Amino acid sequence: MRLVIARCSVDYEGRLSAHLPSAVRLLMVKADGCVAIHADGGAYKPLNWMNAPNRLAEHDDRWIVTNSKGETLTIVIEELIAETAHEMGVDPGLRKDGVEAHLQELLAADPTTIADGLILVRREYPTDIGPVDLLCRDAQGRAVAVEVKRRGEIDGVEQLTRYLERMDRDPKLRGVRGIFVAQVIKPQAKVLAASREIDCVEVDYDELRGIESNELRLF
Amino acid sequence: MRFRCERDVLVDGLSTAGRAVSSRGGAQPVLAGIRMILQGDRLELTGSDLELTISVELTVAGDTDGEIVIPSRLALDIVKALEPGAVTIDTEGEEARITGGRSQFSLHLIPAEEYPPLVAPTGESLTIGAAEFAEGLRQVVPAASTDDSRPILTGVLLAREGTGLRLVSTDSYRLAVRDLPGTSVLAEGQKVLVPSRALTEVARALQSASELTLLLGERDASFLIDGVRLSTRLIEGEFPNYRGLIPQSQPNRLTVGRTALIDALRRVKLMAREATPVRLTMSADGLELVAITQDVGQAHEQLDAQYEGTDLTVAFNPDYLMNGLDVTPGDEVSIETVDTLKPALLRSLETTDFLYLLMPVRVS
Repeated sequence: MRLVIARCSVDYEGRLSAHLPSAVRLLMVKADGCVAIHADGGAYKPLNWMNAPNRLAEHDDRWIVTNSKGETLTIVIEELIAETAHEMGVDPGLRKDGVEAHLQELLAADPTTIADGLILVRREYPTDIGPVDLLCRDAQGRAVAVEVKRRGEIDGVEQLTRYLERMDRDPKLRGVRGIFVAQVIKPQAKVLAASREIDCVEVDYDELRGIESNELRLF
Repeated sequence: MRFRCERDVLVDGLSTAGRAVSSRGGAQPVLAGIRMILQGDRLELTGSDLELTISVELTVAGDTDGEIVIPSRLALDIVKALEPGAVTIDTEGEEARITGGRSQFSLHLIPAEEYPPLVAPTGESLTIGAAEFAEGLRQVVPAASTDDSRPILTGVLLAREGTGLRLVSTDSYRLAVRDLPGTSVLAEGQKVLVPSRALTEVARALQSASELTLLLGERDASFLIDGVRLSTRLIEGEFPNYRGLIPQSQPNRLTVGRTALIDALRRVKLMAREATPVRLTMSADGLELVAITQDVGQAHEQLDAQYEGTDLTVAFNPDYLMNGLDVTPGDEVSIETVDTLKPALLRSLETTDFLYLLMPVRVS
């Protein structure tokens, strides 16, 4: 993580044009290449940013960040006030809430509730961008990466896609397929998962826990 | 864009369209906004979370046509807070200026080009009376599930029944069925599953309307009500076979005054805490309601009622029972039962157009 405090002006050219006039700002360059320009206020949202992948060209008085769509962020640096860089390592990600962790535990105990013939290899299988919830093998011996969420949204599919990309580089896991598991999966997440050949499975938490309710059901 | 409009008219429009706005914007932050399109004196406000879209048409004093997306919650809060009277909205670059009385607000806009294209309503248009349909929705929508893990049950089934329309909903604990004999909107054998959330908004919009126009597409439905258009995706999948669940004859039948039972249940339910049920003891002497919550206390109440059958005590979730009683028409209702574990049938003595089936709660 590289942090630069500088007096700068910023111009964005792309879908529209945007100009940030000269002021002191925090420029953040993350290890994955994301560039963000922050003011000294607001909770989390940068004034302007460019997601990775992109190309950062540093000139004497300006940085030019260009992405694959040809959009550019030009940061004209008038005064460099401070600069620091830290190796932050792999982020462990958000800590799972109780239900999500328990769901993972229950599915690990019996992966056939996700798909027939699934056998657990290990929980929290490490990849170089973070651990995937479950690594399994299917009946044909193919590696299966399972990401478990309480609510399945697009972010979860994106996360599993990143794991699959990393895992597929490992000859032992090559051809790995993904299964996205949640109590409920949003339609948009299902569409994205299908386009990436990731299976979606919805599971009933109470059923997995084997709870028999006193509230009787019609069906 | 520039227009002028009465504050209260704009508040109504923004709050109606805003009910479809995604609370967090989700994957598309632009959906946290309301799209405003001004053409002449016609202003269209649209909110959408892609599942449900609500568009409202207002007549305003238009000056300069345009299209913007304005943050929904903030815009509503601002307009609502202005002095009564005329409100002017005009835009310059990426900002909207909202002026009313001596107040002026400047609000950052969301890029309008990011607003997703919305599917225009399709299908044959049919116009039906509002009052009966609204009454039907009031009766069945509360029984639909709110649990997204079973999406089929979050919808209300609209099916042709004879020459009329049948509305059905269930959350698996109860089932509500309403027939609208004179309402013919579906073809023979046609049935659609409409999200109950959309129908809640339809019912709200119907409060002051005399009729509504329904357009049924293959994957979506639209309801046009007095300048408001609600479009929703239909739920895909097979609704449970509810017909087999409705018992044809029940050996035990209790007849009781509806209001008296509602009042008694409301009192007794105060002691039905921590999800404990209310027990209904039915005998030739009448009806007794009992609620017992361990370590808290208990409540008993006797009610006059007619009973035919064997003495029986059945326990119910008091909220579900109350929902059923609230929407069953008439002064008297019947509760028909088989035993302590089979579904009970709640009906009006005055009409056969509505029934409410309720599963008991198992008690020791």
